[in-house]
Amino acid sequence: MAESLHKESKVIEDISAKFKIAGKVQRERRVWVTIDKDELIALCNFAKGLGFEHLSAISVTDWPEEGTFELTYHLWSYSERILLTIKTKLDRANPAVGSVVPIWKENAQIHERELHELFGVEFEGNEDLTPLFLEDWDGPPPFRKDFDWKEYVRQQYYDQANERERAYYD
Amino acid sequence: MVEQATKMKRLINAIWIFNWFNSCGFCELIPLVGSRWDMERFGMIITGTPRHADVLFIAGYQTLKSIKRAQVIYEQMPDPKAVIALGACTMSGGMYWDSYNTIKRLADYIPVNIYIPGCPPRPEAVFEACMKIFHHVGAVPPHGRKFAKAHRG
Amino acid sequence: MTKQMNEKELITIEHIEQIIPGDTDYNFYFGPAHSGSGNFGVKLRIDGEKVTSARADPGYLHRGFEKLMEYRIPMQNAVLSDRVCVLEALNWNLVHAEAVDELTGVEIPQRARYIRVLMAEMSRLQSHLIWYGVMSLALGFDTGFKMAFGYRDYILDIFELITGGRVYPAGYICPGGVRRDLPDGSEDKIKRVLDQTEEMMQKMKDFDNIVFSRRTKGVGTLRTEDAIRLGATGPVLRACGVETDVRKDDPYEIYDELDFDIPVREEGDAYARCLIRGREMEESIKIIKQVLDRIPQGNIREPAKITPPSRVKIPEGEVYVRNELARGEGCAYMRSVGGGEPYRVKLRGPDFLHMIPVLEHLLKGSQIADIPAIYWSLNICPADMDR
Repeated sequence: MAESLHKESKVIEDISAKFKIAGKVQRERRVWVTIDKDELIALCNFAKGLGFEHLSAISVTDWPEEGTFELTYHLWSYSERILLTIKTKLDRANPAVGSVVPIWKENAQIHERELHELFGVEFEGNEDLTPLFLEDWDGPPPFRKDFDWKEYVRQQYYDQANERERAYYD
Repeated sequence: MVEQATKMKRLINAIWIFNWFNSCGFCELIPLVGSRWDMERFGMIITGTPRHADVLFIAGYQTLKSIKRAQVIYEQMPDPKAVIALGACTMSGGMYWDSYNTIKRLADYIPVNIYIPGCPPRPEAVFEACMKIFHHVGAVPPHGRKFAKAHRG
Repeated sequence: MTKQMNEKELITIEHIEQIIPGDTDYNFYFGPAHSGSGNFGVKLRIDGEKVTSARADPGYLHRGFEKLMEYRIPMQNAVLSDRVCVLEALNWNLVHAEAVDELTGVEIPQRARYIRVLMAEMSRLQSHLIWYGVMSLALGFDTGFKMAFGYRDYILDIFELITGGRVYPAGYICPGGVRRDLPDGSEDKIKRVLDQTEEMMQKMKDFDNIVFSRRTKGVGTLRTEDAIRLGATGPVLRACGVETDVRKDDPYEIYDELDFDIPVREEGDAYARCLIRGREMEESIKIIKQVLDRIPQGNIREPAKITPPSRVKIPEGEVYVRNELARGEGCAYMRSVGGGEPYRVKLRGPDFLHMIPVLEHLLKGSQIADIPAIYWSLNICPADMDR
């Protein structure tokens, strides 16, 4: 088992040699590393250099109790056939992070534009963060955990006085 | 009402359809045009512009963004016109009853003549709805005489 | 026919530009209502016949799936995951089920794995048939459209037999396995449908007709480095000469035991993308035949009895699963904190990148008449972009 994960351990060795961080091999072809927000761009640049040229997705997880946003960058390498996930944490009150648009270009641009709309994360250096999906939206960013979706839907669409719709209030 | 019925009888001998499809409606209704269900035998064709259409098919959930366009399309259609709403989403929100971005009842936004239940409705159900339109306006399609008669009971 | 038509006798765009000089700048809205696909718009800036800039206008189908899934337990999410993209509902079913399975660590019975792959490949086949139909319609080849949709209905009959739904399988591929075993005699019926599909492809003779080749050759050419930079995946990337397929590179289910090829072409234009899909249909048929030959007997779900939903918990953890959908790479990131519902789900559809950066890139500099060919050669589905 240890031998078959040689490729994966190699990626972690390369990264930890330069950035002083530990990573873990989750299973075959899955590598996860966590890094401080300030070093994120440097690590992304380094990862691109290692051959991770396909940015598969960027995701945000909201942790309101901790007061953080967790960003995950999922990178795929066509040559090594490994998925590297880079995780970093942002302050929820001031969710700003450097943009990876200079590294993955249009691909990153569109992912960041989506997350800016749905989570309200600021990507410094991304010039086009206009809303993508929602038109005339005046509420808070809808994917945040503190946005009470059910309450919003009730107020917006349902009427408690209506016999048919009372079920939505129970 | 009687006057409008005569008008419709004159105009709707064959249903010309304009589609406002979302993905599920698209996937289940385009087969109607295909060779198996072949709706052209009932004189139904899909038009490229709402100006030529008698019937507007609204399929599936409508988001707040797309319902505005649907209203514009409805306004552009000449009278008399009918709206057929397909799928559970147009009636009650369906799968998306707690989604913040989809409307819950289409009739609040556009006058709907017939709802077809289903998620998504089967092609037979769509044909039945169209037969009901013919029946409603008292016209019988050239090739559907037997079907319509059976329907009238 | 091709040889008789002399290129020099045709009026080219350059001629027209010489005839009509001057200010012909205008804005042009492609969509959101067009007969090609679901609701999706592109705002174009046109100079004469030439598109000078393109900007995608998505959001007509945004339902907020990722948020909806945070409120629901896995069995409900399985049903919801069909709706992410209706053109390949079973493939999205599989993406969701795999994410939950990897978190729970359940060992899926071998028979269930075979049924999953069988259904996923059938779904890919019907998705490619839809694409062939609508691509023909976009190019003005109505025969192909009617034929493809007629033959696709045979596959839908199989879906109805096995899952109970024509297009939505209602969470047939659920966490832990599949919902029902194959009904008696379904193998023979599937084989018959495969024969019919092969017959149709024979009729179409590998898309080698003048409508396809004339209107797609050299149109919408994507270079390899652009394709990787823009995040293209699946058939679009394989048409640019990159040999990659999630089923081979990052195998899931039983794909590493099956024998199939990855079709690759170097040209990168719309015609290459068409040919790749044609070849992929052949490979899918090959896979389905292997699966039918080898499918073992046994359980179809683990645990075999359905546990009451209130007792089902997803163990804490996070996973990222990648699948090869009919249109490209479909992924799900799932995070759980040990509750009944996932804490966060991120769905990554292939069309999110195909419809925005890739389409904008290809449309820029193209001719108006080529828009349908470019648009449909990418085989895009707005529902999985907007989610």
